[in-house]
Amino acid sequence: MKKREERLVMGKGQYADDLEFAGMAHLVFVGSPYAHALIRSINTDKAMTLPGVVRVITGQDMVQHTHPLPVQANFKKPGWTWRLANVHAMPHDKVRWYGEPVAAVVAEDEETARRAADLVEIVYDPLPATGNALEALTPESPRVYDDWEDNKQVHLKFDFGDPDKAFEMADQTLRVTYREGRVHGLPIEPRGCVAVYDGKNDALDIWGSFQTPFLARHNIAATMGMPEAKVKISAVDIGGAFGLKIHTWKENVVALASKLTGRPVKWMEPHRDFMATGPHQRDVFWEGDIAFKNDGTLLGLKAQVVHDLGVESTNKGIAALSIFPACSAPASMYKWIGMHIEGIGAVTNKSFYCAYRGYGKDKGLKFIESAINQVAKKLGMTPEAIRFKNFIQPDEFPFHQINNYVIDSGDYPATLNKAMEMVDMDGFRKKKADLEKQGRCLGIGVSTTIEPAGVAVPNCQMGGITQARVMITPDGSVEVHSDRTEIGQGAEISHATIAGNILGMDLAHIHVKKVTSDYIGQGPLSSRGAVYPASAVAKAAKLLRKKVVQCAAGLLMVEQSDVDMADGFVFSTKKPETRLSYRELADKVFFFPGPRGLDPEILKNHDHLLDVTATWYSPTTPDTGSSYTTFCVSADIAVVEVDVDTGVTDIVKYVHVHDAGTIINRQVIDGQIHGGIIQGIGEALYESLDYDDQSRLLSTSFSNYFIPTSIEAPDIEIAHLETPSPFSETGSKGMGEAPIIGSKAVILDAVEDALSGFGIRVNDSPASPEKVRQWILETQRKTKGED
Amino acid sequence: MKIPLNLTINGDTVELTVDANETLLHVLRNSASLQSVHRSCEEGECGACTVLVNNEPVNSCLVLAVSVQGASVMTAEGLVRNNEPHPIMKAFTDELGIQCGFCTPGMLMTAYALINRCEGSELTDEFIRKSLQGNLCRCTGYVNIVKAVKKAKQNKDAGYWW
Repeated sequence: MKKREERLVMGKGQYADDLEFAGMAHLVFVGSPYAHALIRSINTDKAMTLPGVVRVITGQDMVQHTHPLPVQANFKKPGWTWRLANVHAMPHDKVRWYGEPVAAVVAEDEETARRAADLVEIVYDPLPATGNALEALTPESPRVYDDWEDNKQVHLKFDFGDPDKAFEMADQTLRVTYREGRVHGLPIEPRGCVAVYDGKNDALDIWGSFQTPFLARHNIAATMGMPEAKVKISAVDIGGAFGLKIHTWKENVVALASKLTGRPVKWMEPHRDFMATGPHQRDVFWEGDIAFKNDGTLLGLKAQVVHDLGVESTNKGIAALSIFPACSAPASMYKWIGMHIEGIGAVTNKSFYCAYRGYGKDKGLKFIESAINQVAKKLGMTPEAIRFKNFIQPDEFPFHQINNYVIDSGDYPATLNKAMEMVDMDGFRKKKADLEKQGRCLGIGVSTTIEPAGVAVPNCQMGGITQARVMITPDGSVEVHSDRTEIGQGAEISHATIAGNILGMDLAHIHVKKVTSDYIGQGPLSSRGAVYPASAVAKAAKLLRKKVVQCAAGLLMVEQSDVDMADGFVFSTKKPETRLSYRELADKVFFFPGPRGLDPEILKNHDHLLDVTATWYSPTTPDTGSSYTTFCVSADIAVVEVDVDTGVTDIVKYVHVHDAGTIINRQVIDGQIHGGIIQGIGEALYESLDYDDQSRLLSTSFSNYFIPTSIEAPDIEIAHLETPSPFSETGSKGMGEAPIIGSKAVILDAVEDALSGFGIRVNDSPASPEKVRQWILETQRKTKGED
Repeated sequence: MKIPLNLTINGDTVELTVDANETLLHVLRNSASLQSVHRSCEEGECGACTVLVNNEPVNSCLVLAVSVQGASVMTAEGLVRNNEPHPIMKAFTDELGIQCGFCTPGMLMTAYALINRCEGSELTDEFIRKSLQGNLCRCTGYVNIVKAVKKAKQNKDAGYWW
């Protein structure tokens, strides 16, 4: 029963671009052609003369009518740097990145608004720009924010365990570096919304592609200077999100436009704008030393990671926040003595940085996977052997990791063993040697990872607490509400399955409602879906089940302990023919609950109200401070062949073993795995946001930012283990991000293995054909030089 | 300049008045209210706006509406019969060849044309992948889409098709 999917395949989606309101006007933004420039003047006269233009909004309007974007994460601590920029949704004085919106045209139709946008005359004084984090941190660099003494937004320092002891114990250390290029999550649908300001009630309703309506309401209300109670955000069908539809920012301008014009105002982001304005992700430079024993025992890490954050995030402080998990994640699934990790975030003249599948934890995980593979090579070990030597063992859970994560459960050796069973490792290694003799380059990559999921962090909006409501309506069907928007990840069917299993009800009668800001929670981010909202739904459904049992016992005149439910009926286990359908039960309970049917005590306690709102919060976070609750496990093995002449990487075989605890819907999980893996392959081999020397974005469309097509995407073999999490209500674990992490790591490792004959170290992504060719040519040049 | 345009859309003859520079995508979405035709890149790269023009899949964002005067246009809405999903749609639901659903209607139209064209012949994974390369999907990794297309082909071969 896939109600939503059936609706969507039949073309009945209701996406942001499909929204229509009577009297609706259309908004189009004017973007900056410079990455850094003073705005000298904005002349809207010509634009306003075009018939159909209603109004032009500029940064001055934002200053006059709105508040600066609100702070969403703030971590001041002695010895740390944490700066926040004071910015409005549109600037009035200075642009800081290519494509930054400086004006918004509102017109009767979109075409007119687009034409008028070209008529807005803006005079800029271009300034030198910085487009690279490492350069931005030098004293000569242009400054992005005039009131900051330099471009360093964040500098965090962490000591996990005992790093000095780790290095004292070491037989050897190894210098490791790792660079990830800048990427765009790029769901096929850009962002969009319709804002409807109601002047009579001074209230604001916004419908659109909101991944996290509850957070969106908080931020838009703060910007608009309105009480949150007067603002409602409703998610419509969302054409993919991956984190990119969490932030609200241009939406504030759309809201203001509706207020100033008194009209419903629609904004549908053009794809080029979506490319330019992002948010973007990754773009990090790792450098450090890893300490280990000669037998392969890992001991410690001392490393630094520099992030190119672009400008201050529109989710103020949230880009900077991603540096926390980046620094914590390297401990991963292995045992360590200690780590010292410093995370630096530099602002540059690039678009801002925000969530994209992985958010920050991915960076630490990919780095450590690469570093461990270097150690294995140095010691002449296989990548699997070094992992088996250092895994946390199945009998050690829950495991308090040095980074303070309380890891719930798993069987790491079994996960990797399973993957190795699916690939003929010896056979492929022999084949690699054979092909090498013919000048062909086969490579085998191995990667294992855990995925910290279900975030709860103090001092920021990702606080954790989540609410869900499960009710039986008077017609006997079920309504489910939560903060978990459906972004294609199977939220609706998963919620329905959870509630249906607990209540013994067919999915046809369970209606998972579209998400609005009415329900508290941060929505599906950081793989929270299967942790927080799913747990809240399960908890509410279990409480509701108790009420159903109480009511049914009274109505059926049987003992509560004898009541069970299945297939839409509530019945006596002793006499199954003594039963009520949910419709009959609900009808009696809602409309004819008189004392002759129900126990008066039930009525006094209102236990006949078949409507439960429950909240859920991690059982581990309060006592331990663990910012994540579940940790799914995955092992990836990939075999690739790199064509030396073209630099093209062909994926010969790909296997993935996953342990996400209790599986709620296998098809949904497999879909998440497939999609994540292909996105990771895209990052590993093709995707790169490139800029010119003035920091202007060159990759502004699918024609020069290459996401995998059906041709690049390989077939993927999947196997599952099921080690339930003791900490979530259903035993399931968040799992949306592990696949993109493991696949990027494993493909880069496999490419390096394929190029082992050249001695090439693949520590820069993407390993695009151009770059692979460049690496090969450089090596050949060096070798010739030596000859 | 306004120009009269006659089309057969999903079997119905329609007379429209369009601008000379209006794309077929714009006409289908705005004048014919066919919202399964999704707008994304508007430059022929993503395939979300794929429709059939005289049974051939095209990116409707790249087609000037006036250039297909008199043509027969089919969209995902046209595959639905008596409010029942077309067997190809059923296959996409069964195999979960859909996640966010945004690319799906365009993907379906390409796949529908592909299956119709391969009447009586076998459809290999490789050929399906080659045929769908103009329709980008960011969610599914294409694995279940390929499965869905094979399932749809089986549906057709078993006579479950229209």
